[in-house]
Amino acid sequence: MDRSAAGVSYQRFPRVRIRELKDDYAKFELRDTDASMANALRRVMIAEVPTVAIDLVEIESNSSVLNDEFIAHRLGLIPLTSSGAMGMRFSRDCDACDGDGSCEHCSVEFHLAARATDANKTLEVTSNDLRSTDPKVCPVDQAMAYQQAIGTADPYDTSTASDHRGILIVKLRRGQELRLRAIARKGIAKDHAKWSPAATVTFMYEPDIRINEELMETLTLEEKTSWVESSPTKVFDIDPNTQQVVVVDREAYTYDDEVIKKAEAMGKPGLIEISAKEDSFVFTVETTGAITAYELIINAITVLRQKLDAVRLQEEDGDFTGLDAHLGVA
Amino acid sequence: MNAPDRYERFVVPEGTKKVSFEKDTKIMNAASFTIEREDHTIGNILRMQLHRDPNVLFAGYKLPHPLQYKIIVRIHTASQSSPTQAYNQAINDLDSELENLKQAFEDEKNRFEERKQPY
Repeated sequence: MDRSAAGVSYQRFPRVRIRELKDDYAKFELRDTDASMANALRRVMIAEVPTVAIDLVEIESNSSVLNDEFIAHRLGLIPLTSSGAMGMRFSRDCDACDGDGSCEHCSVEFHLAARATDANKTLEVTSNDLRSTDPKVCPVDQAMAYQQAIGTADPYDTSTASDHRGILIVKLRRGQELRLRAIARKGIAKDHAKWSPAATVTFMYEPDIRINEELMETLTLEEKTSWVESSPTKVFDIDPNTQQVVVVDREAYTYDDEVIKKAEAMGKPGLIEISAKEDSFVFTVETTGAITAYELIINAITVLRQKLDAVRLQEEDGDFTGLDAHLGVA
Repeated sequence: MNAPDRYERFVVPEGTKKVSFEKDTKIMNAASFTIEREDHTIGNILRMQLHRDPNVLFAGYKLPHPLQYKIIVRIHTASQSSPTQAYNQAINDLDSELENLKQAFEDEKNRFEERKQPY
C-alpha cells in the first residue's frame, strides 16, 4: 500500500461505486484497473466461488414417472443456501471422514419422503419437501419463506409468500411414491455447473461519448432529430428548450456504430466520437440465491487471492538471485 | 467413455509441482513458467501485470491445449531484473491490488447503506 517504500511496485488502486445492491442482484462501477482484472473477477464469480449442492442421492423408493438418474440430476440443480460454503471442506480434502465425504465438516444430509394419496389430484413434490439436517443449509426458497415469516427479509424484496412455492422436482399420481436420502457437498462450478452461485455476471466498458458541438450546431432541427433517432437504443435526445443534442443515457450505447455511420451519411464525419474507457467497467451480478450478490463479489476476490497465492514460486525452485533485494524492500 | 475426470481441471495430481520454471537456453533473462491446473483467469491477469513492469521486455501466456490443464507463461526481462523477480513482483502487486479492492468494496458497501438510510 505504501508505494514509495516498495520502490518497484506497479500496483493499481481500483475504486468501486455501488449503484444498486439487493440480496441477489448488484450493479457497480469498477475503475482504475484493466479488463484482465475485470474478466478474472467475472470468471471466478461464475466458475470458482464455492457453494453447496446435492451431489449424492440414494433412492429408497421411486415409483414416479421419472427415473432415478433424472430425479438425482434435478435435485443437484436446486440452489441451497451456501453462506457457510467458504468455511466448509471439500470432500476430497476432508480427513475427518475417510474419503466417503459424509461427515459434518464436508457434507449435509437431506431426506425426502412423499406419497400421493389423493385420487383426483397429482401431488407436486418440490424443493420445499426436502428436509435438511443442518438449518444453515436448505433450499433457497425455504430460507426465503422463513425469512419472510419472521420478518427479516430484504426490505427491497417484492416477492410474496406464493413466490416461494419451491422448485418442482416431480409430480406424483395416486399411489406413486418417492423416498430418498441425499448428500449435499461443497463444490465449484468448474466441476459441475450446479455449483455455480452466479445466474449472470457481466461487465461493460463505460463509453466516453464526445459530441462535436460546433459541427452539431450546423445541423437543422430535423437533421438532429433524424440523427438522434438513428441510434437503436435511446442514448441521445434533444433538449426541448435549447434544441441541443444531449446524451441522456450513455450506458445504453451498445457500440453499434449506427450514429457514427449516420453522421458520415449526412456528410458530417467527426460529428461524434465514441470510445470505450479501458479502465472503467460497469458490472451486473445476479446470483441464484445460494449466496448474496455482495458475498459473491467478496468471495470472488478471496478466491482469486487464494489462486494467486497458490501460483507463487516455492523456495526450492531456486534461482532467487535478486529476489533477496526484492524481499528486502517488500 | 475416455473423458478425463472433471476434477482433473483443478486438482493438481500428487507428485506434480503447481509451478515449475525453465530458463531459456539461448536468451539471457528469459524463462518459461509452467503453471499446472490454471487457465486464462490467472494467465491473463499475470500477463497484463507483467506488462506494467518496464523491466519486462516480453510477457505472454498460452493454454497449449484445452485438455491439458496447464498454462505456460513466458517472461523476458532486461538485465537489471530477472524473470523470477518479475514473476514474484507481479503476483505481489496483484495480491495487494485485490486486498485493496476488497477493502474498497467493504467501505463502499457501508457508504452505500448510509446513502440509502435517509428516508
